[in-house]
Amino acid sequence: MIPELGHYALVLALALALIQSWSPAMGARKGDLALMKLADSTALAQFAFVAVAFAALTYCYVTSDFSVANVYENSHSQMPLIYKFTSVWGNHEGSMLLWVLILALFGALVAWFGVNLPATLKANVLAVQSWVASAFYLFILLTSNPFRRLAELPAEGRDLNPILQDFGLAVHPPMLYLGYVGFSMAFSFAVAALIEGHIDAAWARWVRPWTLLAWICLTLGIAMGSYWAYYELGWGGWWFWDPVENASLMPWLAGTALLHSAVVMEKRNSLKVWTILLAILTFSLSLIGTFLVRSGVLTSVHTFSNDPARGLFILVILMVFIGGSLALFAWRAPRLKQGGLFAPISRESALVFNNLFLATACATVFVGTLYPLLLEALTGDKISVGPPFFNLTFGPLFVPLLVAVPFGPLLAWKRGDLYGVAQRLLVACAVAMLGLATTFAFEGTKAVLAPFGIGLAFFVMAGAITDMVERIDLRSLSIETIGRRAAGLPRSAWGTTVAHFALGVTLLGIVCGTTWSSERIVALKPTQTVSLSGYDLSFDGMVTKEGSNYRETAAHFTVRTGGTVIGVMEPSKRVFPSRDGMSTTEAALLTRGVSQLYLSLGDSNADGSIALRLYYKPFVLLIWLGAVVMALGGALSLSDRRLRIGAPRPAARVMPQPAE
Amino acid sequence: MTRKQRRLILIGSSLGVLAIAVALVLGSLRESIVFFNSPTDIAENKTAPGKRVRLGGLVKTGSVERGDNLQIHFKVTDGNKDIPVNYRGIVPDLFREGQGVIAEGHIEPGGTFVADTVLAKHDENYMPREVVEALKKQGHWQETAAPNPARLRQSAK
Amino acid sequence: MILWLIFGVMTLAAVFAVCWPLASRRKYVSSGTDVEVYRDQLDEIGRDESAGLIGSVEAEAARVEVSRRLIAAAESAKSASAAPAPSAAGSYRWATLMAAVLVLPLGASIIYLSLGSPNFVPVTMNAARDGSALPAGIEKTVAEVEAYLKNNPANGRGWEVLAPVYLRLGRFDDAVEARRKALELLGPNAARLGDLGEAIVLASNGVVTPEAKSLFERASATDANDVMAEYYLGLSAKQEGRRDEALKRWTALVSKAREGAPWLPLVKNALARIDDKAPTFAAPPSKAAIAQPSAGVTGPAGTSAPAVMTAPPGPNASQVAAAAQMAPAERNEMIEGMVSRLAQRMAENGSDVDGWLRLIRAYSVLGEREKALSAAANARAALAGNDDNLRRIGELAKELGLEG
Repeated sequence: MIPELGHYALVLALALALIQSWSPAMGARKGDLALMKLADSTALAQFAFVAVAFAALTYCYVTSDFSVANVYENSHSQMPLIYKFTSVWGNHEGSMLLWVLILALFGALVAWFGVNLPATLKANVLAVQSWVASAFYLFILLTSNPFRRLAELPAEGRDLNPILQDFGLAVHPPMLYLGYVGFSMAFSFAVAALIEGHIDAAWARWVRPWTLLAWICLTLGIAMGSYWAYYELGWGGWWFWDPVENASLMPWLAGTALLHSAVVMEKRNSLKVWTILLAILTFSLSLIGTFLVRSGVLTSVHTFSNDPARGLFILVILMVFIGGSLALFAWRAPRLKQGGLFAPISRESALVFNNLFLATACATVFVGTLYPLLLEALTGDKISVGPPFFNLTFGPLFVPLLVAVPFGPLLAWKRGDLYGVAQRLLVACAVAMLGLATTFAFEGTKAVLAPFGIGLAFFVMAGAITDMVERIDLRSLSIETIGRRAAGLPRSAWGTTVAHFALGVTLLGIVCGTTWSSERIVALKPTQTVSLSGYDLSFDGMVTKEGSNYRETAAHFTVRTGGTVIGVMEPSKRVFPSRDGMSTTEAALLTRGVSQLYLSLGDSNADGSIALRLYYKPFVLLIWLGAVVMALGGALSLSDRRLRIGAPRPAARVMPQPAE
Repeated sequence: MTRKQRRLILIGSSLGVLAIAVALVLGSLRESIVFFNSPTDIAENKTAPGKRVRLGGLVKTGSVERGDNLQIHFKVTDGNKDIPVNYRGIVPDLFREGQGVIAEGHIEPGGTFVADTVLAKHDENYMPREVVEALKKQGHWQETAAPNPARLRQSAK
Repeated sequence: MILWLIFGVMTLAAVFAVCWPLASRRKYVSSGTDVEVYRDQLDEIGRDESAGLIGSVEAEAARVEVSRRLIAAAESAKSASAAPAPSAAGSYRWATLMAAVLVLPLGASIIYLSLGSPNFVPVTMNAARDGSALPAGIEKTVAEVEAYLKNNPANGRGWEVLAPVYLRLGRFDDAVEARRKALELLGPNAARLGDLGEAIVLASNGVVTPEAKSLFERASATDANDVMAEYYLGLSAKQEGRRDEALKRWTALVSKAREGAPWLPLVKNALARIDDKAPTFAAPPSKAAIAQPSAGVTGPAGTSAPAVMTAPPGPNASQVAAAAQMAPAERNEMIEGMVSRLAQRMAENGSDVDGWLRLIRAYSVLGEREKALSAAANARAALAGNDDNLRRIGELAKELGLEG
């Protein structure tokens, strides 16, 4: 009965969404407040019904109700409870349900908290949100019913894909979806503004926090996915330029650009048209990401099923929304009022520079990801575009952007002084040179790019804190002064500093991790020892363990450095009997500071030896640490009172006011 | 500066960046494209030796031999032609005889494929799309018939 | 009934969500114009300042900026007052109301009835089977035997007899205990070791656990020709991903078998599905065949347990075979039941291509070529117009040798 209730709840959500996509918009047109207010209660009810559907599916998973096809295909009665929860979205149908749940959640949040929104804007936003929701409810109901029942009751489920039986599944997809779907808010606001034909104060005031929230979630989601791939796939790599990874990177790049252009729009009432366009593009890229992953045109661990009907359906959704919104943009955007002027050297220009490079970098990723699909459709040739392409295009475009990062926050609004800023960055420059020279002294010309990469990372980090050092008067050496000043600074300023600093940290991790990573692949017998980068690992023997729904064969290693034992590592292989012996490799990680030893098992040979893959990855943790801190910077910014009230920074007091 | 001049600067620099990006894309696309080939394509000499390609098909049953020093030899088949592959390293968890595989590397003049990367599937139900299509072309692929009638629950649990 | 009641309540809630704002007599205030936003911002600045969240200098600067925007907004609001004043758009309200009260419940029902499965009743085969095949009063008999064994726990034969009944009743954990005791009391032989192993496999949902595996290995060491041990060792190999070993073991079993050996179809079936992706652990040989009580213990005729107590037939290596002998009949009955249900379903709704494929395959497996052919013909008729589906039917027919 429970699955039927969930299914019907979804049908009702669709019905409500259809009403909500029409009536409030009509109300806004005609100025009928009751019709506009209708969107509030339907948005909340929609969320309630989708939540019922989601809860129903979760219930089926937790109680292992294998009469539901989706549960039968992706669960197992012996699976640990946490995986019963996470496997709800560890499959196509369930993940789409999570998608609409988050969409409905955002709609409900706007309805609930949007008290200050102008009534027409709110009604239009919720209507647009509902268009998207209707399309996806239909998609689920028609092509991906998660509540389909089996005619015969199977005795046992087929188990979740073992690769997905990991804590990563509990975090990665929900975070990623919060990000993807969060950008739908920016999209709905943009389309609503186009429908209304003007952008008012409430627009900027609302869009930035939503974008920021989505961006934070997406950042964490991507970082989590990358770390998960790093330790679960057993190759020691953390980014593969896999089309599915690219599908999440593109909205992130566009979203980062949107975040920055929204600042200009909020503070300076400028770049309106561009911001609207970016909002549309960002969500479009999220939709494309969903399409790429869900349609089966790409194959990867994320592609749960290949069903041409689904792919076609999502493609139609994609064309309608992207095409429709871009057409609306072309038609209505010229009506939007132009904003304030700014000089080529100014904070605004720096942000435009940022947008330009982010958007271009995003475009190259787009080309690299979709070119193989296009070529196959046109000529039938099957190709793959490998990492070299992305490294060669994405890298060169990101370097100028990174160089510019420290300059941006130091430039004044409207008309800046590049020379002055350069002078203030002298210290940061010196730090960078020091880093470059030190690396060069140690490495010589072995790795040509490494010293520059490290210099750049130091420049970004030192540059990020330059402004703060001055503003909190760090050199006064008086803790009281520093504390008072630090507390007095707006949190959004701290957010910028923290996020930019973290960008440098990630860069440092990437450069160090790729340059000095060392790798050994050996076959080892018990009692033998293998050494790498000053660590000696002795193979003590094999241990077998019994897991809840798997059997584990682990190799026990003692790790020594200079004769002292510093730890043990137990990489293992897990065999899942319920999946006919499908096995997963569980790499063992030994963390030393922010560096890691990485050990994963290969096949065992007839002579009793076992194949091993051993890596030493110096500073590798900085990559994800940087991303997490970056998200933290976003959270700091989000918590800023001023951001929420939409008032400008005091800097406006010093700078000459533009005549508006 | 007038509004117009400023806009010109903006547009000019945007176009500059775009031009650089296009140049980068075109330059590196040429070098980093890897074509996908079936064993038949390779056997028919469609691919020049030394050129980087991807080879996809099934691991021929009974062809896997493991040598010393983590060497592994196997044959990739599409049911029509077999291509011998050499690889040194650790093969993925789901690398098995009779299952789909994609090897990336180049062909030696002798007709042996030397792989530096071996990809298998992530899930036992999944077959790389390219492989499916290559097999279909050779007529060795049958849409997996529907699963057997789901078995009855026989326990009273 | 309850389901429909809840459906009704949910529908009412949805209708209410639409109608409530329309019906509400509350007068809506047009809030949230630009002017409102700025006023609100000014208030918030004041609150933040008094709460010490922002400094007075910053607050003042913010106030100046917001006020400036406020004035601009007020100016533009004045000029825009020519825009349509808030009014009730009567016809749209009516349309919305109609949509909520009529279209919503109707549409939701139509969509749901065409997509959902409101009348779904889980197939509880177990109840049906146990009710019909097991003699009436079996529970009582079991209770009597249990009581007897409680007083005479050292009666190994008693445990041995009880175990298959437990299996039959689906009380796998009890069966494991009973067989463990039997093994302990009567000493190991191939059959007892194998029986315990099998009970463990059944109790752990068909997975050959390490304990079960070692039991089968011991059984195999005791009697190299023990069919059950060989079969399960093969299954264990398959589950651990050693497909080739499973293949070897099962093939050897088949080649050693004398013609017409009753368990032969089971092993052949397992062999045929060795590359099947569906889980093997619920494989018929284990449950349908071996979960049968030994002949003469509590057969369908319903021999009472105390009588059995006096002369229980000692389980031996032939037990597997004996059990298997009974199995095909029951198994076929079961499968035929499933197939006929499927056939009925397909006759009612022929649009499910997977169902057709399953049906054709099932007939073919059962050796009913005529029915398979007619099912293929029916499928073609029902799926006419969908080339892709027709192609799949055709491919299956070809694969099963139903054509040419």
